[in-house]
Amino acid sequence: MSWDNLLIFAVAATLCWLVGAVMAMRGKAVVPTASVSAIGSVIFFAFIVGMWISLERPPLRTMGETRLWYSFFLSLAGIAVYLRWRYRWILSFSTLMSVVFISINLLRPEIHSKSLMPALQSPWFVPHVIVYMFAYAMMGAVTLFALYLWLRPSHKEPSAEEMGVCDNLVRIGWAFLTLGMVMGALWAKQAWGDYWTWDPKETWAAATWLGYLLYLHLRKISKDHNVLFALLIFAFLMLQMCWWGINYLPSAQGVSVHVY
Amino acid sequence: MNLQWGYKRAFLRCALLFVVGAVLQLVFGDFDNSFLRYPWGLILAINYLYLLLLVYVQGAKWKWLQQLSDSYAMVSSLTSMLLLTIIFGFTRQDPSTEGVIGALGFSRMTSSWIFIIIFFYFLTTLGVTVMRDLHHWRHMRVATLLSHVVVFIALASSMFGSADKLRVMVNMQLDRMTYMAQTHDGEDYELPFALTLKEFKMEEYPAKLYVLDTKTESSSEQFLLAEYEGAEAEVNGWQLKVKQSIDMAVRMPQSEEFMEVHHVGAVPAVKVEARNTRTDEKREGWVSCGSHIFEPAYLWLDERYAVAMPRREAKRYLSRIEIMDEKGEQWREDVEVNKPARVGSWRIYQVGYDTQRGRWSSSSVVECVKDGWWPVVRVALWMILVTAVVMFLTAGGRHFGPKKQKGA
Repeated sequence: MSWDNLLIFAVAATLCWLVGAVMAMRGKAVVPTASVSAIGSVIFFAFIVGMWISLERPPLRTMGETRLWYSFFLSLAGIAVYLRWRYRWILSFSTLMSVVFISINLLRPEIHSKSLMPALQSPWFVPHVIVYMFAYAMMGAVTLFALYLWLRPSHKEPSAEEMGVCDNLVRIGWAFLTLGMVMGALWAKQAWGDYWTWDPKETWAAATWLGYLLYLHLRKISKDHNVLFALLIFAFLMLQMCWWGINYLPSAQGVSVHVY
Repeated sequence: MNLQWGYKRAFLRCALLFVVGAVLQLVFGDFDNSFLRYPWGLILAINYLYLLLLVYVQGAKWKWLQQLSDSYAMVSSLTSMLLLTIIFGFTRQDPSTEGVIGALGFSRMTSSWIFIIIFFYFLTTLGVTVMRDLHHWRHMRVATLLSHVVVFIALASSMFGSADKLRVMVNMQLDRMTYMAQTHDGEDYELPFALTLKEFKMEEYPAKLYVLDTKTESSSEQFLLAEYEGAEAEVNGWQLKVKQSIDMAVRMPQSEEFMEVHHVGAVPAVKVEARNTRTDEKREGWVSCGSHIFEPAYLWLDERYAVAMPRREAKRYLSRIEIMDEKGEQWREDVEVNKPARVGSWRIYQVGYDTQRGRWSSSSVVECVKDGWWPVVRVALWMILVTAVVMFLTAGGRHFGPKKQKGA
């Protein structure tokens, strides 16, 4: 399996996801709809597994490789939310988001090497990155949902149930952000001798974590949806800064050990 | 009206703390945490816990104490921490004190009075909340109760234990015993044990062959991974093929040929066949990255381009060290990246080696780290892991928006 095969797998997976999204929009039965979407995810996962085998290391090192997982988890998050809350639009959203990230990978092909530097050779590597990618996918889903609730043409006030979906997605996403951060801390102690060194990646991970934590606390006392939605979007921007923004941030140049 | 005043009061408190921190920073300079060294960190931590309990108990009598842990205090202290962390993220950390950013200590954030005070306030609101949660644990969501408690333990122990972290570097030479280390400030430090490097071992990834443009001194993006004999790839219009590969070789005197030799300084060498995909021209010859003894070898394709091999990437490297403790006991350990050795409360980490000599390095750099509070932090971190799992499993349950109650 090589990066060149991505197009075939991506097209096949996207077709399944699109069919699932259309079925959901038209109110077709839940199980067949989710199954079609799940087949798309399985096809996409097959590509990831193929890359894993051919690279002889987990495809979690480069930005492009993490984007693969992001697209995959977004599709899973969409299916999970659809199964749990039966939102007809969620599969369209998750498909759109997955396709955006696949397109970035297609437009910016990377040269992949089998090398994995000694610092990354740890049992923590795979869970740490996968858990983070899942958290990012959940936060991506809640950001889209918040944007929809905030800017929908009907200007309807979000219902308690709709806000409940936001809360639950944030709670799940925050739980996974926490898992990723703590796994990173335990790993850092093992690899670098300290569990927290305020490396730029760590600083922005902390800011993201605090941002969503603030949402969870603010939700208990604030009824102002504008503030809550703005915070969700702001927190997602911090997440982007943590994920790839620091690669371009002047204050982080040459000082981060999170460069692969 | 109550709601707005609650916010204003809480944020005013944070602003006041910010100003106090700024004044202290301008008057006293960076925050020095050395007063927290053992046993004072521990003594202060115990007293702090007692004070938190007192604040919680007295909160019933004194309203302002109660306000230290209400929702507004949590939101305001969280917002302040978030803002400072964002400033932290945008500010390059270096020892400079220039400009407003430097004067306020933001370029050395962890030693800035503002950061310390706001962090301490955040920790205190969390601490009082923990006391209340523990008192009313029957009415709490398990995930909320657990997350407050374990995050508090992790943050409090990292703060009170911050002065008990010691990191020193040791540059070991083969077969030479040493117990002297250097701190990051360049001062000598005597270790309570002695280290002797007995062996340095290194595994490398297979060589990569690039086409080098000697005019612009740039190399091709594509490469041929010389994993096995017969491996081939197209690189910049040349079809490269591995004809022969030797892991340890030396070029024979007055010869173009490489021979397998197991000797210090021996180099990896690859015999390559290059065929121009357009003109079908062929070249053949040896390519090597060289070592600290031998020069690199190139295969010239024309006057401008050549096939070159950069130094191979390290797959893993380890130092076999002999440790002797204060009692005179001796034993051997392998120290590798991600696999530190332990000596009492110290851990020894593989950091570096002589990169000029690569696998023939006769020296190795290790970092010895002592963190007396790590056992507490480790337990807290594992508890946070468990809490996050509980949070995930219990998410999706009860709706938890604003409570419909008086004044809200």
